[in-house]
Amino acid sequence: MKLLYTLKESQQQALSLHDGETIWYCVPVDLDFDNGVHSARTGYTDQTWIIVTEERLVTLRGDEKTSEHLLADCEKIKCEHQVGCGIVTVFPKEGLPECVARFSMRHIIRVAYAVRGAQTLVQAIQEEQNPKMVSRVESREYEKYCEKCGRALPGTSKCMYCDGKSEILKKFMALCGDFVGRLIAISLLLVLLAAINMFNPMVQRYFIDNALANGQGTVKDLWLFIGLTFVLTVGGMICWLYRYWLCVKLGASLSMSLRAKLYYKIQVLSLSFINNRKPGELMNRVSRDTKQIRIFMEEVFGDMFSTLVTMAVSLVMMLIISWKMTLLSLAFVVAVLVIIRMFWHHIHTIFHKQWLRADDLSSNLQDILSGMRIVKSFGKEERESARFTEKTEAFAAIQKKNETFWAVFFPIMTFLLGVGTYIAIYFGGVQVLEGSMTVGELVQFVTYSGYLFGPLSWMTHLPRAVMQMLTSLNRIYDVLDEEPMLADKAESKVFPIQGAFTFEDVSFGYQTYEPVLEHISFDVKPGEMIGLVGASGTGKSTLINLIMRLYDVDQGRITLDGYDLRDVQMESLHSQIGVVLQETFLFSGTILANIRFAKQDATLEEVITAARAANAHDFICKTPDGYNTYVGEHGYNLSGGERQRIAIARAILNNPRILILDEATSALDTESEFLIQQALNRLVKGRTTFAIAHRLSTLRDADRLVVIDKHGVAEIGTHNELLEKQGIYYGLVNAQLRMSSGEK
Amino acid sequence: MEDNRENGMPDLLDLQEFDEEALKRESEEVLQMRLMTAENAVFTRTEGGFLSLKFREKTYDRVGVYLTFPLTNPEEFISIREADEKAKEIGMIRSLKDMPKDVQDMIQEQVRLRYFMPVIRKVMEVKDEYGYAYWYVQTDFGSCRFTTHMGGDAVVSLGEARYQITDIDGNRYELPDLYALTVMERKKLDLFI
Repeated sequence: MKLLYTLKESQQQALSLHDGETIWYCVPVDLDFDNGVHSARTGYTDQTWIIVTEERLVTLRGDEKTSEHLLADCEKIKCEHQVGCGIVTVFPKEGLPECVARFSMRHIIRVAYAVRGAQTLVQAIQEEQNPKMVSRVESREYEKYCEKCGRALPGTSKCMYCDGKSEILKKFMALCGDFVGRLIAISLLLVLLAAINMFNPMVQRYFIDNALANGQGTVKDLWLFIGLTFVLTVGGMICWLYRYWLCVKLGASLSMSLRAKLYYKIQVLSLSFINNRKPGELMNRVSRDTKQIRIFMEEVFGDMFSTLVTMAVSLVMMLIISWKMTLLSLAFVVAVLVIIRMFWHHIHTIFHKQWLRADDLSSNLQDILSGMRIVKSFGKEERESARFTEKTEAFAAIQKKNETFWAVFFPIMTFLLGVGTYIAIYFGGVQVLEGSMTVGELVQFVTYSGYLFGPLSWMTHLPRAVMQMLTSLNRIYDVLDEEPMLADKAESKVFPIQGAFTFEDVSFGYQTYEPVLEHISFDVKPGEMIGLVGASGTGKSTLINLIMRLYDVDQGRITLDGYDLRDVQMESLHSQIGVVLQETFLFSGTILANIRFAKQDATLEEVITAARAANAHDFICKTPDGYNTYVGEHGYNLSGGERQRIAIARAILNNPRILILDEATSALDTESEFLIQQALNRLVKGRTTFAIAHRLSTLRDADRLVVIDKHGVAEIGTHNELLEKQGIYYGLVNAQLRMSSGEK
Repeated sequence: MEDNRENGMPDLLDLQEFDEEALKRESEEVLQMRLMTAENAVFTRTEGGFLSLKFREKTYDRVGVYLTFPLTNPEEFISIREADEKAKEIGMIRSLKDMPKDVQDMIQEQVRLRYFMPVIRKVMEVKDEYGYAYWYVQTDFGSCRFTTHMGGDAVVSLGEARYQITDIDGNRYELPDLYALTVMERKKLDLFI
């Protein structure tokens, strides 16, 4: 995303940069805001900018400066999200906060990045560093609109209309290159099909003129004609079927290969790429976009060329037979096309509406079905069913209307298209009567005109189908072309982990403009158990995500055994980390498969040992199929505690050097918690462990506790040290003690 | 020990979740409406464009104005909150029209700062092109072009003839009365409504 726009000459001057001062960020805003003055802000504005240099924060409207702050005088600068808009607030070192700019959601991401950039400058100045040495904030997010044409980009970096189309087609061709044999076969069949189509009317003409019209034909001629026509028709049909089959096969293989590539790529890409997209979107790309391509190959690709060839040849033949008649009927076709075009929008609208209603209906149904218990317990069945009936009725009414329209419209269109042929027959008939044309020629002409006009209504769909295919391709290649941000480098290290961590001034935020952790620094010795404590939303889980390197830090660095985490090979790192999370995810499959997830080749003995260590062996034995019990969506129902223990077994099977426990024992009954706690205690011995827990009793055995508050480390030390300090931790322990005694 | 906690550790309030005492106090406080009146609350404009407040012996440099029913009752039950991330409620204005005129103005200014939802007055053009709709409308903020998805969520009904349109940036636009538009304009919206 662009963070440095270019200003007009006059605006540059208004800025009056002095020597050596450069613009770091320059972003547009779109809402009128006259700083500090409380007036009705009710207008969009143009040519209004927020500009950050290494010394100042300036807002410009037109050629006029509307606000100016020296970064050295600022405590901090914030981009505050309001409702449907955002504002930039400057907190000066002295005095009250000041709002300097306002903008709609269109600019919020861009402004937030720029403000974050300004904030790093402010910080650098406060820490008496040279602001020029600060690294510029960059945004990896995509633009939402094409800069050239202003069209919305469907989550891609390139605009299909401006520069993507040919490139995508090229890529598509390269992909097709893998299936060259099949493509050649299809093209040959296409030519053959077109030839058969063209040949048929010629046979007809020859037969009519030379056998029927002049009365010289024999029964033998008749049989010959029937035979020839039969062979041509059957031959054409076989060709068509074979071609269709080939196209289906090609489409299926193409979409399969794309799907496989996509699936692999998505696995490789970092979580931040995935989190930046809506949950359903990637799924759509894997399933719907690849399906779109298959459908295109099956239904459009083959027909497209054969139809175009047939139509072109038909036109030529018609022109040869009689150009006058051809032009006449063409004129009519143009009229029909215009009519279709006129109705096209209407047709599109009514069916889109129907689709909207269907969507509404199904989401309503889903709502009610999943909320059934609530509906029933409040006794609102009547009302809900009435509401649903209303919606189905509305849907049925629209559907009825649409079907009626279609039932009337379609035959009329077909008829109108046929009228061209009638005209041809009339004028052709006149010519035949005059003797300037033979009957055979007329029949041939009529047949060709059928070839030409028949697919016309189908042709109107073509641009849409092609465009849809291109959009899908674009979206697919957008993912395929994405460079994994957390990719291993050639020099990435593989080594047996000891487990010493160092955090050096680590800052990170999921949205770059919203820091979750700031300036985290501490050391962890190998084999140490660290308890992470703090209110929810303070960034404990985020810290763990960083340790697992699901994300890369924005600033600072994390080292593992002296190596920067970014230089450690990912697979090697992950194979030596065991993770137990709060929400236990078990894959559909057997218990055995789930425990073996981290180490596919673990022996049964290892699996049982791990399960015993996790206190899971006992209950697994009691399930009907033991370790072969199927769990997952339609499988055996495990309780939360049981699932958790399987997850623990899964985590320790690998004998990991680093263990991560994120609320591993919350939401469990007392017995399960005890069993799991016991299992965990066995587990953490000798491994570097990071454990998050709300119940502080869980962290009894932690060597040190890190209290995280306000995005940073608030306290750090052993249980006793922190108690003596009488700080946040002390308060927490007391509160929990009193609460549990209160419960009794 | 009790005293120690109360006095010595203001930090505790930031970890509410664990702090029974503070939690209790807070949930008690939430129960009260703490209504603001012309007498007990003194609002002042700040130079930076915000509002400061004196309420029950406490002074707040900057307060946030939150509408609790922004779509249906924008002038009632206005929640006045602290300006930090927690945004703790300071008090509530039951009905704006019971406040003095200048307070009304001040509150409205803040509402206009915080809330942005242009009202569509006139629909000039809606063009749909491969999955997106490109709108050109006149709003009370001036003319505006925006883009929405073609899916079902872009235009939602807020009841009767009132609609809300959300563009791909997350901006929301209000269409207060569909039937106030001309037939031609309504036809342009056919795809959505």
